[in-house]
Amino acid sequence: MRVELTEVIWLEEQALTFAELADLSGLPHSVLEELVQAGAITPIHPDADHDIDGPDAGDRNVSGADREARFSAAALAAARHARQLCEDFELDAPALLLVLGLCDRVSELTARLRELQAKLPRRVR
Amino acid sequence: MQYKDYYAILGLARGASDEQIKRAYRKLARKYHPDVSKEAGAEEKFKEVAEAYQTLKDPDKRAAYDQLGSHRSGEEFRPPPDWQQHWQGSAGDAPFSAEQMDLSDLFAHLGAGMRGGARMAMPGQDFELSVPITVEEAYGGTEIDLDLNIPEYDEHGRLRRVPHAFKARIPKGATDGQRLRIPAKGGRGINGGRNGDLYLDISLRAHPLYRATGHDLYLDLPLAPWEAVLGTAVEVPTPAGRVRLKIPAGTQAGQHLRLPRRGLPRPKGGQGDLYAIVQIVVPGAAGESERALYEQLAAASAFDPRAHLAQEAGHAG
Repeated sequence: MRVELTEVIWLEEQALTFAELADLSGLPHSVLEELVQAGAITPIHPDADHDIDGPDAGDRNVSGADREARFSAAALAAARHARQLCEDFELDAPALLLVLGLCDRVSELTARLRELQAKLPRRVR
Repeated sequence: MQYKDYYAILGLARGASDEQIKRAYRKLARKYHPDVSKEAGAEEKFKEVAEAYQTLKDPDKRAAYDQLGSHRSGEEFRPPPDWQQHWQGSAGDAPFSAEQMDLSDLFAHLGAGMRGGARMAMPGQDFELSVPITVEEAYGGTEIDLDLNIPEYDEHGRLRRVPHAFKARIPKGATDGQRLRIPAKGGRGINGGRNGDLYLDISLRAHPLYRATGHDLYLDLPLAPWEAVLGTAVEVPTPAGRVRLKIPAGTQAGQHLRLPRRGLPRPKGGQGDLYAIVQIVVPGAAGESERALYEQLAAASAFDPRAHLAQEAGHAG
């Protein structure tokens, strides 16, 4: 069998549009929009595009802004996780937000635990 | 293909009601979901449970499953000849070769054929793999061999599992919890849908010397009591090779000596730090002359390591 060498993409180096994020994660646009509005999934520099728009920027509806926003790798990981949870537990948006919040808290604590364990000297001999 | 008893997986009898199926699934999902349980084997168990539920919760798929008859779990079987025609819909353009398939493939693609028969573009399946690498591999980058069996339609429109083998280059700078994406290497899209992606979850294997957190590394550095008191220079290992580290006089146990940019490289340039954590280690059994020297030291020193405890006691009284 032919074995080819494939280059991988750092998720961190890609900026995704709202539509790409929805497509790659498999989340329906409406659910993704709710997650973004609730702050569970955050765009990169949320206001970067709008600061220069002047006073009219405030009139634009939120979904319009979402579609122009760019999202990072972390957002894709979060969106894929959300899609999986939706499927596995048949969650509605409020329950999904709660679960995602708790999962974030668990990963923060796990990372903190790992850091503390790394700093903890082991018993010599 | 191998038979799987979806009812048994959910702990149910064949005649179970929809409500019982849902309840059994929820109970098992709560127990085995990878976000809930970190027990070994829980994820595999959850996948089994989810597969059973995906089929049994859908009335059409459940009816199709029931028509396969009852077999022992793991028993080799073939679907009855008219099964495919009946359940794959009138189109009949997606037959399968039973030998190369998994029972789950059969039902995963069943819904698509049955609903309306419209040729809807469907994206290929994404796959997620966990890739454990060593600290050395994270430091220098590495290549990994990937072997996947992906369900695909062949040129005759038959569904079968196709082995995909390729190498992926893991660039230096990957560390625990990072994810890489290989676009379009997952399942093939159907009717013009995009191909699925492959996601790699990087984890670091435990290392005998280094403990990693992010791109920083921690290393235990044992010192003899006199080395800590007098100061010294020691050689310490780093992923890039050994370096000499100056230990200042009066170094305390638990102190972190930072070796800047001696940790793991970051993907966008720069490098984490390496920290040597000082441990003061005493010899297991001191010889006659060593004991004599320690006794001399004990007599000569006015050092009281527990002065603060005495003060606390004074305050209390």
